[in-house]
This record gives sequence, C-alpha cells and structure tokens, in this order.
Amino acid sequence: MHWKHQIAALCFLAFSAYLMWDSWNNMEYYTPLGPGAGFFPFWLGALLGGLGIVWLVQVSRRSGNTEEGPSLPPRGGIVRILSIIVSVAAVSALMDLLGFQLTMFLFMIFMLMILGRQTIWTTLIIALVCSVGVYHVFGRYLDVQLPAASLAFLARLGL
Amino acid sequence: MDVIQNLLMGFSIALTAQNLLLAFIGSLLGTLIGVLPGIGPAAGCAMLIPLTFQMGPTGAIILLTSLFYGTQYGGTITSVLMNVPGEAASAITCLDGYAMAKQGRAGVALSIAAIGSFIGGTFATIALVFAAGPLTRWALEFGPVEFFALIMLGISLVSGLAGKSLIKALMMGIFGLALAMIGIDPIRGSPRFTFDRVDLMDGIGFVPVIMGLFGLAEILENAERPFAQMVLARMSTLIPTRQDIRDSVGPILRGSFIGTALGLVPGITNSASSFLAYVAEKKASKHPELFGTGMIAGVAGPETANNAHANGALIPLFTLGIPSSPTIAVIMGAFMMHGLIPGPLLFKEHADVAWGVIASFYVGNVILLILNLPLIGIWVKILKIPYGILCGIIMAFMILGAYSVSNSAFDVAVMLLFGVVGYLLRKFDFPLAPIVLTLILGPLMERSLRQSLEISQGSFGIFFSSPIAVVLLALAVLFLIAPAFKFFRKGKVVMSGDGEAA
Repeated sequence: MHWKHQIAALCFLAFSAYLMWDSWNNMEYYTPLGPGAGFFPFWLGALLGGLGIVWLVQVSRRSGNTEEGPSLPPRGGIVRILSIIVSVAAVSALMDLLGFQLTMFLFMIFMLMILGRQTIWTTLIIALVCSVGVYHVFGRYLDVQLPAASLAFLARLGL
Repeated sequence: MDVIQNLLMGFSIALTAQNLLLAFIGSLLGTLIGVLPGIGPAAGCAMLIPLTFQMGPTGAIILLTSLFYGTQYGGTITSVLMNVPGEAASAITCLDGYAMAKQGRAGVALSIAAIGSFIGGTFATIALVFAAGPLTRWALEFGPVEFFALIMLGISLVSGLAGKSLIKALMMGIFGLALAMIGIDPIRGSPRFTFDRVDLMDGIGFVPVIMGLFGLAEILENAERPFAQMVLARMSTLIPTRQDIRDSVGPILRGSFIGTALGLVPGITNSASSFLAYVAEKKASKHPELFGTGMIAGVAGPETANNAHANGALIPLFTLGIPSSPTIAVIMGAFMMHGLIPGPLLFKEHADVAWGVIASFYVGNVILLILNLPLIGIWVKILKIPYGILCGIIMAFMILGAYSVSNSAFDVAVMLLFGVVGYLLRKFDFPLAPIVLTLILGPLMERSLRQSLEISQGSFGIFFSSPIAVVLLALAVLFLIAPAFKFFRKGKVVMSGDGEAA
C-alpha cells in the first residue's frame, strides 16, 4: 500500500521540476551584478527534487505491510469535505458579484442547516449576525470595507 | 542612577488617571483585535491613529503601544480554543494549545499564556531600560552577510520541528521557501510564479496561507466524522497545577530571552520569535516526541517570546528610530504626527514622553494580566457551543479574515487551496510548522543572500569573511547535522519517512 506515498513523492518531484524549469527558462539566473531572480528558486527546486527522490526511494524500498498510508475517509466524510470545499470556492467566486451579506448569509445557511443540522431559528439568527451584522460592524466601526453586490438590483436592495 | 530617576519620573507620568485609562482601553481593544482574525496589530494601530489627534503625544503613544501588545495575547485565545490563529505569531500555539483544550485544559493554557506574556513583556521592557544601548550597537554591525547567516540559523531550526522525519521537515521547509518566492523579485523587480495575476504580484498572503494550513485543514479533517460526534475542547480548571508551573518556568525564561533578542533585529517578525521559541522548547525537552499533544512548554515558550518580542521590538525604535516591523512603523508614524522623532534625541529633547511611555509598558503589562486572567472564564465558554454551530462561525471568521487582509476574494481562494494542501499533507504526516517558518524567513534570506553576493561579485567567500557570520553558519550546520548524528549513534529511523505532523 505504499503506492499512495509514491504518488505523493512524484507530486513533489513534479513541483520541483516546475520550479527549476520556470526559473531557468523565464527568469534571469545570473546577472553581471550577481544572482538573478531565478537563482534562488532554481536551487530550491533542485533541493526539493533531491529530497523527493530520497523519500521516493525510501517508501519504495519498504515492504508493503509496514505502512498502509493515509486511509480514505468514509463516504459521508468525503461528501462533507467536498461540500465545504465547494461552498468556500463558491463564496470566493460569488462574493464580489452578490456582495458579502448575501453570499455569507447563503454560506452560513448551508453550513449550519445542511452540514451542522441546526434548527431553522438558530440558523437564521447566526446567519444574519455573521452576514448583515458583521458587514455593518466591520464597515462602520472597524473600517474594514466588505464588498457590496455588483449586480444592480441587489445593490439597490442595499446588499 | 540616572536610569532609575528617569524611570521614576516616567512612572509618575504613566500612573496618572488619564494614562492608566488609555493603557486599559488599549489593552482591551488590542485583545479584541487579536481575537478577530484578519485585523492585525498594524491595522488596529492605524485605525486608532485618527482618534489620537486630540490627545497629547504621551497619551497617544501609550494607547497605541498598549493596543499593540494586547493583540499579542488576544491572538492566543482563538489559537487555543478554536485552532484558528488570531494573529500570525500565535499560529504555533495551536499545536499544543488546542491539544490542551481538547484535554479540558484550555483554561490552564490561557492562564500560562497570560502569565508568560506578562513576564516576557516585563523582561523586554527591563531590557529596553538597561541594555538598549549596547544591544542596538551590536545589532547595527549586521550587514547582509551576518543577516543571511542569522536567517540560515533560523531556518536550520526546522530540524527541531521535524518530529521523526527530518526529510519531510526539510521538504516542507523548502516548500515554504518556494511559496515565499511568489511575487515581485525583491532585487530586480521582475515577477516570479505570478501566472500574470495581479493578485500575486505582492506575493502570497501569509494570513490566508496559515489560516488554510492550520484552520481549514483541521475543519476538513474533523468533517471526516459527522459533526454531532465531534468531541469539543473541554475546560475543567483555570488554575495551573504545581507541575504545570514547574514545567513553564524554563520555557518562560527562554522565551523572554529569545523574544527580546529577536525583537532587536529589524525585519524579524514576532512570528519568527514564537516559532523559534517553540523549536527551542522542543530541543530542550526530555520528551520532544510529545510536542503537539498538549505540552505546556509548547504554549508557555512561544507565548512569552511573542510578547517579549512585541516589547523588545520597540528598543530599536526608541534608541535608533528604526521600525522593526510594520506595526512599529505605524507607531513611529504616530510619533511623527505628534511632532516627535524617535531616536537618541528623543531621550534628550522629550525625556518626559520617552520615559512616560516606557514606564507605561510595565503598567500595561500588569493591566493585561489583571484583565486577561478573569476574562479567561468568559472566553472558554465558547467551548460549550455545539460543533455544528461553532464550525460555521469559525468558517465565517476565517473567510472574513482571509478577505480583509487585502480586501480580495482571491485570498479566500488562497486559503481554500492551502486548506486542501494542509489536509493532504496532514494525511501523509508532513509537519506543517516548517512551511510557516520558512515562508516568513524566505524573503529575508533571499534578499540578504543576493545582496551579499552582489557585494562580493558572486564570491561565496564573503560568508567566511565575517566572524559573526562564521559562528552563526557553523551553528546552523550543527543544528542540521545533529539529527544525522543521532541516527548513527542510536540507530533510530530518524531520517525515515515516518513522522508526526506538527
């Protein structure tokens, strides 16, 4: 079962290869005044690659029984993890469009009601505090300007 | 004797009712700002500056400096209770602080952090009074060569964060350095690894990265089980046992030295101090393998160092007029707005302001201790909230924190990316702390390396021309090869792939 570690080691090797390739091809390695922008990342890539190879050799030489590698979470766990990832990605993508208040309100409804299994009233109160409440407190008293909706009809509603 | 007389004069100014009230308000606001992720001490001080225009210079600076060290303690509260660092400097406290909270010892962790913060802050203030002159003269001798050697020494300490696997720790250290390369090249000004995105020109945000690696990754790991089954951190007592106090004395003393000393060096952040203090504790401990499982030393050392650093960082400002961090730069701006120039002349021309503010540091540290010990009981009530609710609130805070660093939804995506990366790295038992250490020190290391090589026209011999650099580099090499010696001596699988995630 050490194949998972081998794949992880190969990911590091690919990352180190990219570091070396990009710094060698797209940046100055050395200039008349001294090291260029590509000097440091190139050697970081080389070092990471070297360590990645050592790790790959180590995990490949182990017998299959000694290390099982990370286990996959149960089906329900995978669904919850993916739900969180997708919902945060949606917040990131929609915040400038729908505004902080509406995006965060919808996100909190999802987090508390669907994932957290909370009652409707608990969910609504917390979602309103974390969206509308936070927007006004941070904007008015802490001078942190959170985004308003860029869609005209939502902006007219003060969202 | 002059020092004592001046200090007494300072106390007579700091202990006036108005200045006491300002120190109290600053400490309270600072603690609140520290609890709120995304509003850092620099932003907090900057927001308060307009309010100080109507005040006298002494009161204004007392308010801002007490807010500054109040944030250092506030960041600890969320680290211990929620595993979400309120401030970057408190990230390392998550490791053992949150583990203690899970064991029902959140109150003890916060009490020791409050006591350590008080002692560290007081120690650094005493240093400011008595040792500022000679220490800053020594720090001034640091050119790029010595600075590079110092940073190398700091980075070599990743071996102390390695758990059982030095290779994994080194890989994570280099990964952090590579992340630090993103953005505009500090010497030539050309973009690197930016994929033509304007958001990446200033580099990758430190706060979104640590929130992802520590906060979101933990939530993703918890999501493997249904939220209803989640065992929340519990609290049984606030009062540390005798053993807790005995175990904290050494870390608090070491943290005071580390924080004060690193606070003197411009450019080194208090995150570096708390990380190095953690590493020092792990090195000094008879049971380094237990770090990350709720060791009190893992809370006492970093928390002391981070407050000592906050006070120590004011030494170069007061004696030389050099701001050693963004927050100190904001405080320096406040000095200048009130017609004062920090530096040696400040003590001659405005002795009342200089000594009044220094005395207020002692007073502020006492206020912070008195304020925080009774409030711990209120903070830990957060633990009674069901995880289904707490998780949503933590997520909202993290999104808010990541966004408000530079008002960009892109930073929320960065936090998400590093949450997923952190989750996967945890699954493979990679220690995460080295990433944060090298992410902080990486830009400083590269800049000093390249400046040194430009001075020597490419010759690495320059690093052997300075005795300070040679000693520091020798220590760095020693730290790195020590685990290899351990490997040969004990025959343990120190260099193998098995390790604990920090």
